[in-house]
Order: sequence, then structure tokens, then C-alpha cells
Amino acid sequence: MLGDSEMLDDNSFPVLLALSAALFTIGAMGVLVRRNPLVVFMSIELMLNAVNLAFVTFGRFLNSEEGQIFAFMVIVVAAAEVVVGLALITQVFRTGRELDVDELSEMKE
Amino acid sequence: MTALTYVVGAIALLTAIGVVASRRTIYSALSLVGNMISLAVLFLLLNAQFLAAVQVIIYAGAVMVLFIFIIALLSPGAEDAIVQDRRFWVGIVVVGVITLQIFALANNDTTRDKTGATPVLRGQKLAQAANPSDPGFQFNVDDVNKAGNVQTAGGQLFTTFLLPFEITSLLLLVAAIGAVYLTRRPPADARRL
Repeated sequence: MLGDSEMLDDNSFPVLLALSAALFTIGAMGVLVRRNPLVVFMSIELMLNAVNLAFVTFGRFLNSEEGQIFAFMVIVVAAAEVVVGLALITQVFRTGRELDVDELSEMKE
Repeated sequence: MTALTYVVGAIALLTAIGVVASRRTIYSALSLVGNMISLAVLFLLLNAQFLAAVQVIIYAGAVMVLFIFIIALLSPGAEDAIVQDRRFWVGIVVVGVITLQIFALANNDTTRDKTGATPVLRGQKLAQAANPSDPGFQFNVDDVNKAGNVQTAGGQLFTTFLLPFEITSLLLLVAAIGAVYLTRRPPADARRL
């Protein structure tokens, strides 16, 4: 059965944490290297997801429910962030400016 | 250790690279959907069934639909090249430093106990040594499965974590109002400003 205690042994703990660290690093790279704000937002989602994986992994191996609860909170925060961020991007697009995070260094033209 | 963890983990890594390296935004979005679904499978393996369902419904469903709507609205065919200017190399260096720090932190003596035959995390030992009769800390996997994953998570959410839960609802309200305010058309007399 999925999630059974025999399904994962202690060896998978560092593997999953390393995967989480790798995903976070790739996301950080996307934020720093890409210029399209949409891709930057998706990279932020990637980083939040990597943190979720770390939370759930720790919760699972420390026999604690808190990791999952915290992952719920992270999902809610990510959803709120996406809503506001995409609203900002559409507003920037409406003013006719190019979608490039380097060009958006000022709040007002 | 199941082979499934490795396979799904590899898919998660490849799709994550796809998000960052794709030239078209829509391919990035599709890679992100794949990444979220593979993470949902990992959550299933980690005994977080409810979280896996939430991940698919909210992330792969709602959030990504929103993303794809905006991509289709703004720049469906646009391709942007990854320019290798100074900013690119600064990003690479910063990410390299972060990676080294993560590995250094994961390997230092405070985090890992290397005295045994196989190194273990200290937190793992602490959890094993903790008082199992303390219901606030110990959630044995088999006990959780017997009571039901959704029941356990929901019970925790509405008792121990009630205040954070209410604060998140406030956050969602603020985000909804903010999005409505940001995307509304300005009234005609305000356009001159």
C-alpha cells in the first residue's frame, strides 16, 4: 500500500532531501537568470514546491504531522502570491511595456 | 528504497530543468505541471495522501490554469533567448554558493551524527528518543493510516494550528481584494494622472 511504513527505508530520507535541495537550486537559478517575469514566477513556484518536499520528508521521517500542515500553509501562500503577481504582470502588459524584469526597476514611469 | 522514488525523482529533476531552460513560456508552464504531478507522487510515497490530492487540485489544477491563461493572454508565441551577460554569470555564481552552503550544512556535525556505521540525522534520533506517549509530537505512520490521513491532518489543522489556519484565510482574502484592485480598469477621469 502506498505510504506504508515498509515502502520507504531510512536510505530514501537523504535522497529525498537532496532532491529537494536540487529542485530549490534549479528554481533559484531560474529566478536569477531568466528575464521573463512569468518564468521567474514559475521558478518561485518550483522553489516553494522543493521546500514542501523537504517539509513532508522531515515530517514523515520524524513521525510528525507538522510537516504536512506547514506544506498546506505554503501552498496557500503560493496561491495568493500567484494571484497578486499575475495581476501585476497583466497591469504591466496593459501599459504597453516589454515583459522583462530588468526593465521594471521603477514603480512609475 | 523503491525504484519508484528514483524514477519519479528523476522526472521531477528533468521537468524542473525544463521550467528554467525552455525558451517558450508555455513549455515552461507544461514542465511545471509535470514537476508538480511528480512531487504529488512523492507525497503519496511519504504518506501524505491528502497533500498529494491538494497538490494536484490546487497547484496542477488551479494555479497552472491561471498561469496558462495569462501566458495565452500575453505572449503565446514569444521566444526569449537566455542572454549570457553579466547578470547570467552572477546568477550562476550565486546559485553555486547556495548549493555549496546547502551541502556543507547537510554534512556538518550538528546536522548529522557520523559516529554510527551509517550516518543519521540528529533530528531522526531525537524523534526516536522522544516520548511516544506524547500525542502532540508522535504520529506513527500506521496509526495515521488507521485513523485516516485526512482526519489526522484536519484534526491538527482545526486544533493545534487553528490560529495559522485563520491567518491564512485572512491572507487569501487580502490577495483576492488586491487582485481585484490591481486588475480593474481605472475610471475615465483618473486616466490623465
